[in-house]
Amino acid sequence: MKKVIEVKNLVKKYGKLTAVDDISFYVNKGEVFGLLGENGAGKTTTLEMIEGLRRPISGKINVLDCDVRKKLECIKERIGVQLQSSAYYQFLTLSEILSLFGSFYSKNLNIDELLEMVDLREKSSSYVGSLSGGQKQRFSIIASLINDPEIVFLDEPTTGLDPLARRNLWDLITKIKSQGKTVVLTTHYMEEAEVLCDRVAIMESGKILAMDETHKLIERSRYPFTITFIKEKLSSTLLKKLKNLAVVENIFGKENKYLLKIKTNKEMNEALNVVQMMNPESLTVGRATLEDLFVELTGKTIED
Amino acid sequence: MWKLFISNLKMLARNRQSLFWVLFFPLMFTFIFGLFFGKNTSLGTVTLLNKSDSQIAIGLTEVLEKSDLYIIQNGTDIDSAREDIKKGKIAAAVYIPEDFGSLPAQDDLQIEIIYDPGSQSYSGLTALVNQYLTSVNFQIQNSVPIFSSKLEPVTDRELTYFDFILAGVLGLALMNSSIIGIGVNMAKYREDKILKRITTTPVKSWKFVLAEVISRLMINLLQITIILAVGKYLFGAHIYGNILVIVVMAMIGAFLFQTIGFVVASFSKTADAAQGMAQAITIPMMFLAGVFFPIDSLPKWLYLIVQYLPLAPLLRILRGVMLEGNSPFFEPKNIMIVTAWVVISLGISIWKFRLSDE
Repeated sequence: MKKVIEVKNLVKKYGKLTAVDDISFYVNKGEVFGLLGENGAGKTTTLEMIEGLRRPISGKINVLDCDVRKKLECIKERIGVQLQSSAYYQFLTLSEILSLFGSFYSKNLNIDELLEMVDLREKSSSYVGSLSGGQKQRFSIIASLINDPEIVFLDEPTTGLDPLARRNLWDLITKIKSQGKTVVLTTHYMEEAEVLCDRVAIMESGKILAMDETHKLIERSRYPFTITFIKEKLSSTLLKKLKNLAVVENIFGKENKYLLKIKTNKEMNEALNVVQMMNPESLTVGRATLEDLFVELTGKTIED
Repeated sequence: MWKLFISNLKMLARNRQSLFWVLFFPLMFTFIFGLFFGKNTSLGTVTLLNKSDSQIAIGLTEVLEKSDLYIIQNGTDIDSAREDIKKGKIAAAVYIPEDFGSLPAQDDLQIEIIYDPGSQSYSGLTALVNQYLTSVNFQIQNSVPIFSSKLEPVTDRELTYFDFILAGVLGLALMNSSIIGIGVNMAKYREDKILKRITTTPVKSWKFVLAEVISRLMINLLQITIILAVGKYLFGAHIYGNILVIVVMAMIGAFLFQTIGFVVASFSKTADAAQGMAQAITIPMMFLAGVFFPIDSLPKWLYLIVQYLPLAPLLRILRGVMLEGNSPFFEPKNIMIVTAWVVISLGISIWKFRLSDE
């Protein structure tokens, strides 16, 4: 597969703080690549160095076979960038903004079609100020598509949106991928990365802790399988049996709700037999999530 | 870049806050000062109560009416005139008693000037009346004054306080709209990450800045035209210099203030901070650089400092051209100070103003 971005031994420091600490990764053509991590993990700094907005202390970045340091202008023509929580001109209409940004590039997509793609056609002569949060974010993304870029960078595209607006954006990102574009996004929502990303890198304090295809990454978890169920008064013999097969936890302190974290397929089948025998309510068999892996890797939950 | 330029003009026209600084604020000053000191203004109204039909009395009424200092109205009742003065309706009254001016003169017949000591506007009137009576006295006594004075104006041009103010308001308008306009706008663009967003595109930073500067200079040109036109045609301001020279000098001033605006934007992270910093620069300058009154009447130590404020030499040049018809190079010091400021603030802008964070 063709690599459209290659990052080698990238380092960035702000004074004494090392924001990005010797990271290397690549992004394949046509995939959705996710940089995952908490606020301050170094995701945005990494992204902005690839976009040429910040200068690395050391390391090498190649985008579309061009060195970012030497051929930035040529790269800028071929990428689209959506910045984290940025606003647009207050006194220009949506179509005027798109046409203005289009004038910066040699290649342009049709403005009406772009607006149509995110259901903003009838808002084309409104100001950005009159849009809802989700509409603003959608507009911000199509504004980064105006030059029909080969790579689209989305920095926390769904932060602060309600669940429905987030799902809307997921559809949009999927649509962009289906047009053959490469998407690089940052997020701190694990389930979002699980749904959208083909490959994920988990960042923490400027380093990449783990990186792989999303499903493989999850399988790397120490306890890839889970069983949850509800049972009033679990007998101590059964509990002992389960504890031999799995890690048993009460979910968020609810005494009747149990979570079993299981290492192997064999152990899972045995545990399932035990659980089924006691005829519990609400039995679910599942697998670990990216969030579980993240908690294992960093020793903390991402939301705090 | 054309598109950037057009977009900027659209935004300037749609932004009410910037329109206020650009047009309404200076026009408000032009109107206020125009109404007070523009054409047809006088020191007040004087009621003339003439009971005499002598030559001397008629001569005095003619002198008063010809003088443009006061609006003269005829009255009959001295008591109602007194009331009017007390109420502030008229500035003063001149009472010429019956038989005044007929010869031989009677000692107890005197012209009375009734005035309110609390108001200043009667002093010109007494001078006017006394001057007339003195000349009449000399004539009647067939004598010639031995000592006299002669007035020699350096210019035969008519100038009013409004003419002085108009140049001030012009400079004030350019200063406010450019320093506050550019400073706040650029800081807001930075806050909203619009500047950063621009740097993600292939457009060159200098093109972005140049489009901003040129579109604002167009607005400045509109400001200059409107202020001068309103001053001249609505309030009868006298403009003696070449209009083209005035516009060019004003545009140089506008450019200077724009560079100061960029300096403000370079040092403020938020639009609010820029607003504060811009006002900290413009408000003292409004009072200390000679917009409303000549600064050479300030204490000497203060004058030595404030004469170098960016607005001060610009106003001296504008007034020199507008009121005296001088060349902008008449006093080369002024143009040198302006140039020095342009070099300084342009230098700081180029050095410090960046679209991106690094």
